Amino acid sequence: MTPDSGKLTSQQALEHARDLLGKIARDLTISEWHLVIDVRGDDLPEAALRLRDDKKLSCKYISSIIGVDYVDWMETLYLLRSQDHSVPIRLRVRLDREKPEVPSVAYIWSGANWHEREAYDFFGIKFLGHPDLRRILTREDYDTHPMKKDAWPHRVRRTEWRWENIERPRRLPGETDRRDRS
Amino acid sequence: MSVTDELTGPGKPSFHLEEMVLNMGPQHPSTHGVLRLVLHLDGELAVSVEPVLGYLHRGFEKLAENRTYLQYLAMLSRLDYLSGTFMEWSYVRSIETLMNIEVPKRAEYIRVIVSELNRIISHEVAIGDFMLNLGAVTPFFWVFRDREDVMDLLEMVTGQRMMYNYMRVGGVRWDLPEDFEAGCRKFLKEYPAKIDDYEQLITDNEIFISRTLGMGIIKPYEALDYGLSGPNARASGIDWDLRREVGYSVYPEFDFKVPLGQHGDCFDRYKCRIEEMRESVKIVEQALDALCGGPVNLKLPPMLRPPAGDIYRAVESPRGEYGVYLVSNGDLRPWRLKLRDPTFSAISMIPKLTAGNKIADLVAIVGSLDLLMGGVDR
Repeated sequence: MTPDSGKLTSQQALEHARDLLGKIARDLTISEWHLVIDVRGDDLPEAALRLRDDKKLSCKYISSIIGVDYVDWMETLYLLRSQDHSVPIRLRVRLDREKPEVPSVAYIWSGANWHEREAYDFFGIKFLGHPDLRRILTREDYDTHPMKKDAWPHRVRRTEWRWENIERPRRLPGETDRRDRS
Repeated sequence: MSVTDELTGPGKPSFHLEEMVLNMGPQHPSTHGVLRLVLHLDGELAVSVEPVLGYLHRGFEKLAENRTYLQYLAMLSRLDYLSGTFMEWSYVRSIETLMNIEVPKRAEYIRVIVSELNRIISHEVAIGDFMLNLGAVTPFFWVFRDREDVMDLLEMVTGQRMMYNYMRVGGVRWDLPEDFEAGCRKFLKEYPAKIDDYEQLITDNEIFISRTLGMGIIKPYEALDYGLSGPNARASGIDWDLRREVGYSVYPEFDFKVPLGQHGDCFDRYKCRIEEMRESVKIVEQALDALCGGPVNLKLPPMLRPPAGDIYRAVESPRGEYGVYLVSNGDLRPWRLKLRDPTFSAISMIPKLTAGNKIADLVAIVGSLDLLMGGVDR
């Protein structure tokens, strides 16, 4: 990233965000010129609104909402970027894995609506206050959230997926295999 | 007596008052793949439109967790099958940043050349499909004829016409063939005249103008609100191009413009793509001039182990911001891979954009967004 004139550097953006968010931001770090802000789930809408409406860091654009399953906990990341300068901002919320719930930001960014539906579909994260929280990519009656690390408990290791291990239907008495007849 | 009986009772003209629900797609030719639109129609007006996704869902993000980093490379061009190099590029960029690898200069130039050629053919299909949606068949054949030239060049370089699998972590798969440069220069010399031909055929066409001008207007703040990027956002006047803003790879060395629209209607989106094709020609020319010697890839072990950490890297694809969010735990396989596709955001805008339009206009608006379901459904 070349620091152009008129654009905030990552460090300036960090300091501005610290002033802006105050106690809401639990931690601010810079990772490869991306600004990462940790917030609590309850504070998320407030932080999102402040970032969006701020003059300097006007995060009007939401790139994506990402769910990550770390087995011990879950995370949602909100990739934001302002159009005026090029410091991408990641809002990071840590969720309880047993009860993954986080307030929805679909009324703050319209684009967040579908991204939240996708995170719900893949990880089962409940976005409270979402206008239409349905599955989006998998089928409606799918019984699991497939991207969770324990989504398929019956799944064996791949080396065991051999033909011999698959239980075939038992042949009825008197029935012959089609290959025997030919 | 209900209102309906009053209007449709004996002696009254028989007509239906309820709105009709019509499925457009998933096999409809003008829905660009397997997008299904549930239309609620009042006569010819679409009262509401609801896109339904997932008909092409292949679980790409989950599959990544079962494959090594190099194995997964072959799948990435299957995501967005019209512009395969871009997702590959953002993927290898994210791994390169995690592993702190510096890519050889020649490889960066080759990446730019291949990607910009890819951008040209992707925009050609976008324009051809858009015209086909509007009922114009000739431009479709023209762009497919001219697309063959670029496909031949790309086949010469990568060995494939569409699924390139050409990028590697630390460079590209192999060097350019000997006769590529001559062929590419010949193409670049002839191509701007062909774009002029398209413009003569399409841009000045009165029917095209009357069907697209002022149709499907996206305001700048709406484009941002819905997360649009690429030509769709630039047509609304949002001056935002990752090639210039972030300046990844060797793009800062090149001199190119970022075409912008003023009104954000279907016509501007089409025009932006035409102008971008011209800019791509310029970029490829400059990259060919600047092409230096040296290795095209680094000798890296086939089993890559990026250090633990997370990274987000994006490139500017023909459709907008292609991003890869990668979480590595230091193992052979990614812990989590998220593929961010710009078309996903564009489709989420369809209900707002098309409600209240006639079906024929709806098709024009959907066509102008340049949708491609391969990357959306993942």
